[in-house]
Amino acid sequence: MPGPIRAYVRFVDGLNRIVGVFAMYIFVFLMGMLLYSSATRLVTGTSYIWVVEMAQFTMVTYYILGGGYSIQLNSHVRMDLFYSRWSDRTKAILDAITILLVIAYVVMLIRGGVASTLYAWQYGQRNYSAWAPPLWPIKSIMVVGFVLMLLQLTATFFKDLARARGESLE
Amino acid sequence: MSYELIALLMFLSMMMLLVTGQRVFGIIGFVGAIFALLLWGRGGVEMPFNAAYTLVNWYALVTLPLFVYMGYMFANAGIAGDLYRMFHVWSGPVRGGLAIGTILLMVMISAINGLSVAGMAIGATIAIPEMLRRGYDKVMITGVVQAGSSLGILIPPSVVMVLYGMIARQPVGHLWLAGVLPGLLLATMFIAYIAIRCWWQPHVGPPLPREERQMPLREKLRLLRAGISPLVIFLVMMGSFFTGITSLVESAALGAFATTIDAALKRKLTFRIFHETLRNTLGVTCMFMWVITAALAFSAVFDGLGAIKAIERIFLGWELEPWQVILMMQLSYLLLGTFLDDTAMLVIVAPLYIPLVIKLGYDPIWYGVLYTITCQIAYMTPPFGYNLFLMRAMAPKEIQLADIYRSIVPFVIIMVIAMLIVTAFPEIALWLPEKVYGR
Repeated sequence: MPGPIRAYVRFVDGLNRIVGVFAMYIFVFLMGMLLYSSATRLVTGTSYIWVVEMAQFTMVTYYILGGGYSIQLNSHVRMDLFYSRWSDRTKAILDAITILLVIAYVVMLIRGGVASTLYAWQYGQRNYSAWAPPLWPIKSIMVVGFVLMLLQLTATFFKDLARARGESLE
Repeated sequence: MSYELIALLMFLSMMMLLVTGQRVFGIIGFVGAIFALLLWGRGGVEMPFNAAYTLVNWYALVTLPLFVYMGYMFANAGIAGDLYRMFHVWSGPVRGGLAIGTILLMVMISAINGLSVAGMAIGATIAIPEMLRRGYDKVMITGVVQAGSSLGILIPPSVVMVLYGMIARQPVGHLWLAGVLPGLLLATMFIAYIAIRCWWQPHVGPPLPREERQMPLREKLRLLRAGISPLVIFLVMMGSFFTGITSLVESAALGAFATTIDAALKRKLTFRIFHETLRNTLGVTCMFMWVITAALAFSAVFDGLGAIKAIERIFLGWELEPWQVILMMQLSYLLLGTFLDDTAMLVIVAPLYIPLVIKLGYDPIWYGVLYTITCQIAYMTPPFGYNLFLMRAMAPKEIQLADIYRSIVPFVIIMVIAMLIVTAFPEIALWLPEKVYGR
């Protein structure tokens, strides 16, 4: 594989590793926030109006920002009835082709996400709730996560291509 | 082209693409997205994102990472190892005792964990090697671990039931309580099977040799302490939830926190273990959530095609008895489950079936239990099952793929029998929630 592609794959892997480890620790924030809110409610008898929505936003941030890293960790299930019987080369060739479909899906997620975020920003869209948070921040985070996923998938595409040619980019 | 034909085409193209072995979420999402484009043109472009965005409002799903974390903390910090030793010593002397102990261990793990992954991790890395060393039959114990860990989704807390509750709009507390007795029934049936089989064929599960059993009583009693902390964690978590002190999600956070404290008190919480647990949690959560995200896109198109009405027409058009309809539904789940990821199946198919279940006059809580047992079976049956998948990745080398496939047969039969029992006697599921919540 040409040098620029190697550099690109290295860069994307590194970037998503950093973001992924950050996402891992969002879990601690999520747990802490829920404990804090239930403790305050028990002590003072009043609950914060932002907890439910904040927890939802945190959860979405957690798994969408962690998406690219989860591809690196090989966390995603495949239907491997036939897959597990093929040679490494066959797997690599098919992976390189079918990952284009996954890329198409993520591109559509980004396309829809950008439109939805712009709408939320322009019209000041808010949640219908007591706290009524603006929605553009969480939508932007989602778009960023999808872009990171797109980067990781393209890097994986190059890795599959390399494997198909008997090289390695890992 | 008629809508039914388009729906069929979607399913077929999804199944064909899944066979290539590409990541499931990507294939399901792609098929959903491309059909949205074909059907609605520009209007369908934003559909995948809007489907993904609905998850922002699914509050109960915040429990998913929390329960997954609890299970992994138990496995990684070695707390489960102590528990295993307890059952090992106490139930080891009887024939098949270690296998029976493993089922009991799995029941205990299921009570602090919402999926089957932690049970699988503990079973494959701790229980199976120990039993292999003691001359247990490898096929039987492989089945024991897979079947036992599948109880994780039936015995509360259960993430599958949270997801079902979201889709069917049913209270999670009722569903969880409804799973308790069927879960214990299943565990009892597994144990009975092991006991009868080992009594009949002693070589598949020899009792522990005398030297290993000789241990002062005081030592034996000391081992029981391992069971205390899981029990306390379970009671704190479930107690605060069912008394209404904390909400569902807060109780899960409390459970995750209590597990962390437990590991710290046992001086097993190192930074490495904590970091590894967080990494495992992220991996499993992402796997599930991205599948759900994609399945929602798929199901949105289905919804747009009016598939709910179509399914109703098909099932009601045959003029079947209500129980026959339920049976057909369960069969179709098992059939689809061979090709489709079980979580995706819930998101795509359940919204189609649940309105019909209610229309036929059945209790959606009871149906949730049936559905969960079907999921357990689907987790274990090839070609597509999470437990199979995990078993292949984690089992010791002695256990071949053929062993894994053969191992599930008796347990799947038991599960089907249990499902029929719960179908025939809905009280098994519904008695406890009615007792607690009243009618």
